[in-house]
Amino acid sequence: MMDKNMAQNGKIKVAVDAMGGDYAPEEIVKGAVLASQKDDVEVILVGCVDILKKELAEHKLTNSSSIHIVEAKEVITEDESPVDVIRRKPNCSVAIGAKLVKLGEADALVSAGSTGAAAISAIQFIGMLDGVYRPALVGSLGSFAPNTVMVDLGANVDCKPHQYLTFAICGSVYAKKFLGIDNPKIGLLSTGQEPGKGTEAVREAYSLLKNSGLNFVGYIEGNDILNGKANVIVCDGFVGNVLLKFYESIGGYAKSWTERKLKKYPPLSALVKLLFDRLFPSTKISSETEKRAGGILWGVDGVVRVAHGASRAPQIANAIESAKEAVKANVIESLKIELAKFNQGGKL
Amino acid sequence: MTIEEQVREIVARITRVDKSIITRESTFKDIKADSLDIVQALVAVEETFGIEIPDEEARKFRNFGDFVSYVESRVAQRERV
Repeated sequence: MMDKNMAQNGKIKVAVDAMGGDYAPEEIVKGAVLASQKDDVEVILVGCVDILKKELAEHKLTNSSSIHIVEAKEVITEDESPVDVIRRKPNCSVAIGAKLVKLGEADALVSAGSTGAAAISAIQFIGMLDGVYRPALVGSLGSFAPNTVMVDLGANVDCKPHQYLTFAICGSVYAKKFLGIDNPKIGLLSTGQEPGKGTEAVREAYSLLKNSGLNFVGYIEGNDILNGKANVIVCDGFVGNVLLKFYESIGGYAKSWTERKLKKYPPLSALVKLLFDRLFPSTKISSETEKRAGGILWGVDGVVRVAHGASRAPQIANAIESAKEAVKANVIESLKIELAKFNQGGKL
Repeated sequence: MTIEEQVREIVARITRVDKSIITRESTFKDIKADSLDIVQALVAVEETFGIEIPDEEARKFRNFGDFVSYVESRVAQRERV
């Protein structure tokens, strides 16, 4: 099912929070210009019109480029509470972007600003899907565990037990849609395999998952993450974010450690360097996570893609591209269908 | 439905707790509501009753009972006007 806006001109409209991010608005505008060179996307830059017009004037737009500006008079900064988006700054750029999605004037929103502000804008101005309390970040582990995804990667530091169930459902849809796994195995990350392990919330989540009807394989320990025991690893956002960043750093450290160890044997060292560059480039893990709908706030009733605060133009263009792909893949509709099964059973 | 019942339903829906556990003595901490839950509840109550709850007033609420009493007084004030 295609969105009505998309159907009208064949382009997917992506609203971009032009004022959010460490290098905003310059790099955001640059990234938007890059992304807009593809003929199936229309970018709506949201922010201060005067500043954005000046930035856009720096670029030579091709005939096929499609970029518009929508005014947002306020900006929410990293040092402000993300909750301020609701009552104090409802007209900030990320909030206006979310409202465009709600109104159907955009098909997706991309923001490199505060993740909290983007999540809160999504919750308040777009709304959550039935049965979902808060959005979650889902990502594929890529290289070492290509058939494994992890949820939540950092959107929810403290979680209530029922959130773990919605994380599992989101992860399951991701694994089906993007990894082609028919009946994904769901594992709950904990410190042991016995049912009594974990925090109070994790123990309660265990019962919910066990009775959910999902393909739940029980607790997964840290040493099972990469071995394929589960396709969807469920954890709170605190644990998920720490693990993700640790995981992303492994390639680079393994390479430099091996190079140091083999310093005395230059031919061997050169060979190892070559192997690492070919097989385990340090950036591969994170770029794979980014590509396949990574950074999407799952559970929102619209596509919202958050990008790293330090994103430069190529990462912004990539975020716009992946938001577009998520719209094309109908991830929201798929998740709605899956959630409906659980809502009907009174499990959410 | 009384104002108290309506406010309780709103808070229960937003925080996803069973409304029976929300008493007049319950604090937001008791029902594990975070800052986003609280702001969402304030906005939803404002929209439902057509009133405004300034942040400085909201900060004075010690428990659910204080919240309800404030809403009741504002609704009564509006009706008098």
